[in-house]
Amino acid sequence: MTTAYSRRRMLQLLGAAGLGAAGLAACAPAPEAAEPLAADDPKANEKSFSFASWTLNEEAGKPVVQGLIDTVTKKDGLTVSGVSYPYNEYLNQLTLQVRGDKLAGAAQLDIAWLGALASLGKLRDLGPAAEGRGYTDTALASGKYDGRQLGLPWTTGAIGLVSNKDLLAQAGITKAPESIEDFEAALVELKGLGNGIVPYAASTKVAQLKDILVWMKTFGSPLLDGDKVTIGDEASVEAVTWYKKLYDQKLIAPDVDRFDARALFGQGRAAIYDDAIVGKGAVVSSSPDPSFADKLDPIARPVLRSGDDPQAQLWGHVIVVIEGAAANTATSFAQWMTSDEQATTEFFAKLALPPTTERGLASDAVANDPFTKAFSERVTATASQNPFWRFPEYAQMETVIAEQVQAVLIGSATPADAMRTAGQGVQALIK
Amino acid sequence: MTATVEAPPAPVEVEPRPRRRSPLDRERPGVRVAAWATIVVFGGFGLLPVYWMLTTALTPDGKVFAYPPALFPTDVTFEHFAALAGNSQLFGYLVNSAIVSSVTAVLSVVVSAYMAYSFSKFRYRGRRSLMYLVLSSQMFPQALLLVTLYALFDAYDLLNTYTALVLSFTTFTLPLCVWMLKGFFDTIPDSLIEAARIDGASQLRIIHSVIVPLSGPGLIAAGLFAFVRGWNDFIFALTLAGPDKQTLPPGLTNTYLGEAQTAWPELMAASLVVSLPVVVAFIALQRFLVGGITAGAVKG
Amino acid sequence: MSTVAPRRGTPGQGLSGGVFAVLLVLPGLALLAAVVLYPLVSSLVTAFFEQSLVAPGRSFVGFDNLAAVLDSDFLPLLRQTLVFTVGTTLVPFVIGFGLALALNTRIRGRGFLRGALLLPWLVPAVVTSFLWMWIFNANYGVANGVLETLGVIDEPEAWLSSPGTAMAAVIIAKTWASFPWMMVMLLAGLQTVPPELHEAAQVDGAGTVRRFRSVTVPHLRGIIGLVVLLELIWNFQHFDTIYVMTGGGPAGTTETFAVAVYDTFYKGHDLGRAGAIGLLWMVLLLVLVVGYLRVVDREEKP
Repeated sequence: MTTAYSRRRMLQLLGAAGLGAAGLAACAPAPEAAEPLAADDPKANEKSFSFASWTLNEEAGKPVVQGLIDTVTKKDGLTVSGVSYPYNEYLNQLTLQVRGDKLAGAAQLDIAWLGALASLGKLRDLGPAAEGRGYTDTALASGKYDGRQLGLPWTTGAIGLVSNKDLLAQAGITKAPESIEDFEAALVELKGLGNGIVPYAASTKVAQLKDILVWMKTFGSPLLDGDKVTIGDEASVEAVTWYKKLYDQKLIAPDVDRFDARALFGQGRAAIYDDAIVGKGAVVSSSPDPSFADKLDPIARPVLRSGDDPQAQLWGHVIVVIEGAAANTATSFAQWMTSDEQATTEFFAKLALPPTTERGLASDAVANDPFTKAFSERVTATASQNPFWRFPEYAQMETVIAEQVQAVLIGSATPADAMRTAGQGVQALIK
Repeated sequence: MTATVEAPPAPVEVEPRPRRRSPLDRERPGVRVAAWATIVVFGGFGLLPVYWMLTTALTPDGKVFAYPPALFPTDVTFEHFAALAGNSQLFGYLVNSAIVSSVTAVLSVVVSAYMAYSFSKFRYRGRRSLMYLVLSSQMFPQALLLVTLYALFDAYDLLNTYTALVLSFTTFTLPLCVWMLKGFFDTIPDSLIEAARIDGASQLRIIHSVIVPLSGPGLIAAGLFAFVRGWNDFIFALTLAGPDKQTLPPGLTNTYLGEAQTAWPELMAASLVVSLPVVVAFIALQRFLVGGITAGAVKG
Repeated sequence: MSTVAPRRGTPGQGLSGGVFAVLLVLPGLALLAAVVLYPLVSSLVTAFFEQSLVAPGRSFVGFDNLAAVLDSDFLPLLRQTLVFTVGTTLVPFVIGFGLALALNTRIRGRGFLRGALLLPWLVPAVVTSFLWMWIFNANYGVANGVLETLGVIDEPEAWLSSPGTAMAAVIIAKTWASFPWMMVMLLAGLQTVPPELHEAAQVDGAGTVRRFRSVTVPHLRGIIGLVVLLELIWNFQHFDTIYVMTGGGPAGTTETFAVAVYDTFYKGHDLGRAGAIGLLWMVLLLVLVVGYLRVVDREEKP
């Protein structure tokens, strides 16, 4: 064919085609926002919904959670489809799904993520659903955001210090140190055991340095006063200076995050580390010592002045419900999973995760397990929330602080400067 | 992009020479030593970590974090490999990866072949700009593309489908294929095309009956590279594929990287096992890679 | 047909050929426009707004985001990105070229080696990141284990937590994943160097090195150009390895533009700022690539 087209026509053709495709993409129908359904709307009572949970994909937890889901499915004739993402990506992916109204039903959440997900405005207020189910106050508090009960507590605990009784005995430490000075002295004794043993496998990797917030609280910094960030005050600087001292004296090791700490502890190469109850299983299974479970002993975090409360960070999982289709069904499901006596007992028996109901905590299985009992008394009893969790950008805030602390550890900033920068950085994120 | 090299007149041949023999064989032993030294050092760098993957995969759970780690472990277990056999989910991930990567490769090659041919054999205003446009499209951060892509696929109800994955992968395989194939087509002499035109073939006919048969190796090579790019993608697959369409990278992460601990031996075992089929395929197709990257077969 | 050397395409196919050429380009272009152009433009536009990932709505802020980025992180990010990009392009190139030359000789076992050395490239990239994190781990990694046993170091080094070594570690990890494909490409190129050229040069008295410089390299110029260009672009983009191994640390010393965009976006929920970083990134990369191509393409006839 030899029809002659002018050059200009050609370019126009080209441009039009390109723009057309882009326009097609741009003019795609926008997704519609979901509105909360009325309580008696049949859509809210649909029997088929999704349950998002990262435990559903973990070797240890999967059979247990799946088992519970199967029980409920048979009991109430429901169809539950499991949705899962790797733990580290879970919040990001769930945020996208919920933001785009792609998920109908319930989701497991780490309590740290509640603020971030809640700010999307799609979660149902489960206040009415929580009444009369027997949850403890601490547990309920962990699921509250902005005064509303947005999550039903599934397991509640805290992150505290776990020690290796054996190693402590070897170093001649008979009583858990109560003051910061005693604690430091104990660490020095443990270092004396030699053999490459790390006395305290404290977090030193940026991803886990948020653990230092607990120490800042121990030294007296409230971290957040209303809407004002207090990082940069004397107490926080003192805490970081102390941490750096431990680092320089090799009482804590570099490049350690929670996983590394568990690995070291399980190998008997660390005497003390920070963890929630959920870590016990991982530590025991990765240890070559068959009787390792007996050596674990939680201890209360040392305090600055006697009479202070030992600080611990609240930890736990909650189940939230997304407003919309199947919301009612999902709510009953969440209630059952988190407070049904049989469900919670089985959950504890298999995964060692403490229940959140008074009855559950008082049950024989829980009360008689020495580790759980010790943990609740010495750690969870005085646990408090991380004040930054109420902001959706809490992860960014923690990173800002962590990066500054790391700068101090590697010697590229003084504690005072670093904490001032951190404080300003976090304040800037509070809009 | 290939430089033109004119061969000087060949010396008088005294004895027949086998084809494709490298003149380096007749070199001083110094070259052989250098070759072996390079292989030991660089090859060691390449293969020792693979050995370490294997070692880790064979380590029992209690010894995984032992320090110093045993380089020649005596205490080995095959339980991690055995566990894979029963893992049908992993197999599902493998199938998904294979399907998505293959379709991406085919689609990319077909579409980019036409584009590359246009860039190579024709001259028109804006050709240069279009080439840069295509090249620059893979320069944008994936993380940012992702949000809009997600919304786009959502609007057309394409989320959690193979289609979404394939389309998003082509964002980075298409430019790659276009540039590789353009280079390949550049080396096909225009005389062949001219001859076909003189015989009265239409443009399209030329492409399908002259160029394509000659381009087998090039197309396969481009396809293989596109396949690997799709095989390796993590972030798009994680976000755009649902639980049942997960490919290997997010699937492996999902299964073995838990909240409490990373299952190192299992992860290494699974990674080795799923990579093997691809390695075997690549070895089998290697001669196409060689021929397809340069138009060695096409000489007047 | 007696031409020995391949020749460039000639113009003069007529304007009708020109229309055909454009039509050939359309399907690919349409695909790219929909899947890349539109999201790209959309994200770049966001650079001029204040928009959050979670909160609805957005407000126009002009150049504020760009100014904020340029003021704070820009120079360190730029330096680190360039160090990473250049490092992860040149080092695997040297390794790949070295191996290609070695495998091009008639040594035993080269067939097996050619296949085996593909493994680093074919193992899913995400596993590579974890593997090297595993190797470089300060407390139980094999790198420390070997070095300590050999007596090179006295106590475990925190490779990924020390500013100098962290960047080296991520470069090593990415290099390991990249060198095989460069090796394959270069090997293919080497195998198409006509032996007659080498022999002719030998007759003229050229030694190994001289022949390498005047026969091998010119013949390979096209492949080298392609391989280096593509790897440069991909490494500028690269995110997985750094994110997994160091998260951009310690103290932000391994943070590149790619990591910064991801963090700003997913952790900071700041779409506007992320878009600003993306915009600066694109401008930079375009300048680099166009400059590179202008130099390389100088020999191509217009």
